Amino acid sequence: MMFENLFTPRKIGKVEVKNRISFQPHLTNFAEKCLPTERHMYYWGERAKGGAGLITTEEMSVHPTDTAYEKLVEAFHPEVIPGFRKITDYVHQFDTKMFCQLNHNGQQCDGSISRLPVWAPSPVPDVLFRETPKQMEIEDIEEVCRYFAISAEHVRQGGFDGVELQFGHSSLARQFLSPLTNYRDDEFGGSLENRMRAPLMFIAAVRKAVGNDFTLGIRMCADEMIPGGLDLAQVQEICALFEASGLIDFVDLSIATFYNLYLVEGSMHTPLGYTVPLAAGIREKVDLPVFCTGRINDPVMAEKVLAAGQADMIGMCRALICDPFLPKKAEEGRLEDIRYCIACNQGCIGRMGINRSLGCVQNPAVGLEKKWGEGSLQPAPIKKKVMVVGGGPGGMWAAKMAGRRGHDVTLLDRNDTLGGQVLTAMKGAGRDEFGVIIRNEKEQVDKAGVKVELETEVTADKVLAAKADAVIIATGSTPKANPVGGSDGPGVCNVWEVLEKQVEVGDNVCLIDYDGHHRATATAEFLADQGKNVHIICSSLFIGAELGPTQDLYLTRQRLLGKGVSFSPDIAVMEVSGEIGEKTVKGFNVYSNVWDEWNGYDTVVLAMGQAVDDDLYFALKGKVKELHRVGDCVAPRKVDMAIWEGHKVGRTI
Amino acid sequence: MSDKSIQIAVLLREVCDPNPPARLTEDGYGVSDRGLRRFANPADICALEQALRMAEGKQGSVTVFVVGPSRLEDLLRLALSMGADRAIRVWDSLFAGGDDVADARLIERLIQIFDCDFFLTGNGLLDRGAAPVPALASAGLSMPYVTAAVDFEFQGEGIEVLRKSDRGAKQLVALGHPCTLMFEDGCCEPRYPHQDALMAALEMPVEHWGLAELGLTISEVGSYGAKLGKERCSFPRLNPKRVVTPDADLPAFDRILALLSGGIKPREGKLHHGSAEEMAEMLLGVFQAEGLVGGGQK
Repeated sequence: MMFENLFTPRKIGKVEVKNRISFQPHLTNFAEKCLPTERHMYYWGERAKGGAGLITTEEMSVHPTDTAYEKLVEAFHPEVIPGFRKITDYVHQFDTKMFCQLNHNGQQCDGSISRLPVWAPSPVPDVLFRETPKQMEIEDIEEVCRYFAISAEHVRQGGFDGVELQFGHSSLARQFLSPLTNYRDDEFGGSLENRMRAPLMFIAAVRKAVGNDFTLGIRMCADEMIPGGLDLAQVQEICALFEASGLIDFVDLSIATFYNLYLVEGSMHTPLGYTVPLAAGIREKVDLPVFCTGRINDPVMAEKVLAAGQADMIGMCRALICDPFLPKKAEEGRLEDIRYCIACNQGCIGRMGINRSLGCVQNPAVGLEKKWGEGSLQPAPIKKKVMVVGGGPGGMWAAKMAGRRGHDVTLLDRNDTLGGQVLTAMKGAGRDEFGVIIRNEKEQVDKAGVKVELETEVTADKVLAAKADAVIIATGSTPKANPVGGSDGPGVCNVWEVLEKQVEVGDNVCLIDYDGHHRATATAEFLADQGKNVHIICSSLFIGAELGPTQDLYLTRQRLLGKGVSFSPDIAVMEVSGEIGEKTVKGFNVYSNVWDEWNGYDTVVLAMGQAVDDDLYFALKGKVKELHRVGDCVAPRKVDMAIWEGHKVGRTI
Repeated sequence: MSDKSIQIAVLLREVCDPNPPARLTEDGYGVSDRGLRRFANPADICALEQALRMAEGKQGSVTVFVVGPSRLEDLLRLALSMGADRAIRVWDSLFAGGDDVADARLIERLIQIFDCDFFLTGNGLLDRGAAPVPALASAGLSMPYVTAAVDFEFQGEGIEVLRKSDRGAKQLVALGHPCTLMFEDGCCEPRYPHQDALMAALEMPVEHWGLAELGLTISEVGSYGAKLGKERCSFPRLNPKRVVTPDADLPAFDRILALLSGGIKPREGKLHHGSAEEMAEMLLGVFQAEGLVGGGQK
């Protein structure tokens, strides 16, 4: 077999898991009224169908003071049991084992949801929630222990195969363990022995509740990566001591804290498998099965990590959100069919960050598995001749879905390769992995029986002559032609022209950013990498305003600053003027309304929005039997909406 | 020590080459013979060399013996070609399946029969590691024994043995005879037998002893004499391949940089130029290195 280690069963505590792929805990926001839902069931069920050996649920709250997010399942209520049973029964029919994660978030909580004080070892506010917590009294600690035990009992009654306690990046237990958040001078603070006391009490309470024949593990933070926090050497010691207690069966790992959330959820800019060295470090010191998670999106890499003995289980999270069937495809050797996660973080982490339900840029079915999951695609009742114009992600998805349903589909594009604007976007600094979107779909378009015609300029007459039953327009968008006064002058260009190297860019560059996303920052970095002096002016509070939720902000700004890029936020740019070498940008501060100007640029680069390319749509409107349009040519947005709309039209046409 | 020539007995054992991955037998209770390479335990050969040196100084005689099936006679002939005086293969199908205690009983009896001044063997087995049988046997005879010996010197009536102690320290142990010495692998350079000696050894007699020669009862040896049974075998957990873990002493910021640059990096594309044959060969090499086709990956 191609992946010998990956598909070797492994005993985790009291259960045998059929392969080494674990679908890791992550928020979904699928809960309603703090109870598990049908949406959860189909979501996890899809990953079980896809062949994951083990699934661990999202964190379930164990106590009323633990309200980090509005839509957490509250496992301490007995009402969760029926929902748990439905989920576990559904998942178990696919021979997948299922653990439930229990957590108290401690200081990393929001008291405005619960209207209760936030509990923590010491009154140290979390960097993200910024709420000063109540220092827990011994009775509080005992109460949390009791609630852990009650919740664990519900987990067991709910039919799960095991329970995992979150001691990782966001947890009360870590706050007790870490000198960063534990300033206590009683028996719960100070020495390592004291700091381990409360977490050990949690473990012991849960072990007592579930009994010795149930699997119990912890998810440890392998390194807090912050001055004064836990480092690998300390965590190795802690893990060895937890193991020596004889109470736990496995060690799952996470990394970092909310101080450096960008390490918890590594973006496209973090190396693949960036946490492997830490997992290997822990595994040296403990004999329990060790899990490794963090940008392992590829079975080949997972196999290597296992073969090198650096971990016993491979945690995949985003990889299986993006393609639930990755394990099955890997086992069958169909690597070309795997839809690889690109860690763009837009649909998953980005949507979580703003309290939306979980999604995925490349997988519209996430959270809608009941409706759109595997096996839901019905053959078209009437086979139509379908013409898709525009081979970007929206067009490719529309063509692929329509083709799979048996339509006779032709996909046309004016370029010599499929991909549309993704081809340009992937040229930004560090954005090359974005191009994997094209790789993921190209093959599927072919397999769906779609006829692809490249280097074809499509006109209304040509479409009419082809006599298609249905036409889908996915012609995308182009940068706005003249977004600001003077932008048609010499030495002014847009980000697409820069990335495609269609224009000569001088040494002193001013980039005007109304985008706040990679379009602007990745182009600035692209130019800085060529040794140019780049200054960014934006009207937002800070450069990269859209990059926060996807955890791209920190490293992007770190790199930009390191490469000498300077910033002027809060400025609304109104005019660009002057000759090349003397370009002047005029604008006013959006708060003080004071006008200012920036002089002496060779080139001004505009990231000031896109305009629809809808000429073909309006030329055909009313002239063909069925006309649809998807993606940027409806309204310029991001790739997720292009794929969403392409998928939807392809399904329904 | 008196002028009477000394008697030395040397136990030779075979081990499995630990390098190629071992396969388990169908039932999972043993190691499959398929692809298995066996050779003499290196430490035992060192012990033999030490025995020959001992004998040369004192005009002693060296008896080598093995316990096991006929393929072990190769070990005996090697010993003969190196200069051993007498070779005995001890085997009876009833000896099979013994545990350490039962095997020790066998060795104990053999030492008794040989009535030797020194019983020498290797310290541990290359494949299994610790091997308590020789120590158990000498303890059964109330004979002193020295483990991890590296050198010896005759001192008057007795012998002084240099042995490895904890943390690289050495210890000098003085003892009388009879005694058991277990020599470390690599404590000496075993002699290389001459071609003529090798050829001559092929013709030399090898004695074969069974249960009757030993005068033991069935209930004392082999699976009947064993207290321990076999358990199903499984492969041990792999040791992690060492990767650079961020140095815990570094400031947190440097640890982050180390992790973000020191993890497994995304692979970069490479451009190759050459003829179609060269390219095909190169591609195949890449596939093999990636484990995508068989026959590659070490």
